[in-house]
Amino acid sequence: MNEEYLWDKSGKPDPQVQQLEEILGALRYQPRPLEIPRELVVARRRSYIPILMIAATVALALLAAGLWLRMQSQKTSPSSVVETKSTVAPGGIREDVPTPVVANDETLNQRPKKVSVRINHRNSSRNPLTASVSRVKKPREAGLKPNERQEAVIAKEQLMMALRLASEKLNLAQRRTQLSSPANLIRNQHKVG
Amino acid sequence: MKSLSKRKSRLPLVALLLIFAATLTAKAQGARIQLSNLDHLAARASETVDVNIDERLVQIAWRALSSNDVDEAKVKKIVSGLKGIYVKSFEFENPGEFTPADVELVRSQLRGPAWSRLVNVTSKKDGSVEVYMMLVGDQISGLAVLSVEDKELTVVNIIGPVDLEKLSKLEGQFGVPELGIESKPKTKN
Repeated sequence: MNEEYLWDKSGKPDPQVQQLEEILGALRYQPRPLEIPRELVVARRRSYIPILMIAATVALALLAAGLWLRMQSQKTSPSSVVETKSTVAPGGIREDVPTPVVANDETLNQRPKKVSVRINHRNSSRNPLTASVSRVKKPREAGLKPNERQEAVIAKEQLMMALRLASEKLNLAQRRTQLSSPANLIRNQHKVG
Repeated sequence: MKSLSKRKSRLPLVALLLIFAATLTAKAQGARIQLSNLDHLAARASETVDVNIDERLVQIAWRALSSNDVDEAKVKKIVSGLKGIYVKSFEFENPGEFTPADVELVRSQLRGPAWSRLVNVTSKKDGSVEVYMMLVGDQISGLAVLSVEDKELTVVNIIGPVDLEKLSKLEGQFGVPELGIESKPKTKN
């Protein structure tokens, strides 16, 4: 076998090789343009624009609904404030808390009174007492956290009542001391123990 | 070496200061009277007032008091610096619902050397009113009022520096009387 012919087609060709070349020559590469079959459907590039538009529409609808609900709740809130200040209505309960008033001459001569705060249970998602008290007292206790606000209101009321009671008793002591003789007063002002 | 000896010489001073501070704190806490032993009277009382305001609540209430309101501003000044306010008041339908032993539970706590009885007015008809004060140096660190009547028992315990001058300024507003402790004599209108 002439290897030169196999290598670069030089030299004497081998008849068997030539025969094979002729047989396989029918299958050799023929340069021609690419033909795409008509039945083959090429998938188009997917577009996300319609989905985005739908999502944006839904989001806008939700936003509008939220704003509408908020406006509705703002419209109804003033009436709930009035309700908290009003007397007991069906569905409400009473809870006794000390009077929040600053004592004056008239109130000092009276026994400590208790005032009732109505708790509105209509807004059940939050603590009703916190809700009712915070609405009324919000401007004054602006520096307090919401959970501290209720505590502050009760503490203040108790504080005022305690001071009122303390002063009332001191006043009583003074009145009785004045009624006693001066000698008695001196006698009673001594250190014990 | 020198610095070490200096440090060593300062140690007793620091220790003394710490002891002094601890004593002051203990004194302030010592102004607290145990009132829980009167709790059983609540069941028999027709009206009960129970106020327990510790230091934290005093501070919260202080923040809730308005500086713009004249009355609340006065209270705010008095409350400032207080460590606690405790009140127990029982009003009964009938006399004899509480015993002298109940009163003694409170009075015995006020017999200690730290307390000074300022006022003691006793009347068979009207009962008794006693005012006690605890002093640390020149400063008042506690006040206690014990009022005993036929149908009423009231104990007020204020802990902390009660400024009597400020307290006396409340006279007429809150009915706080002059107790004759004020430095300047006051003229009444």
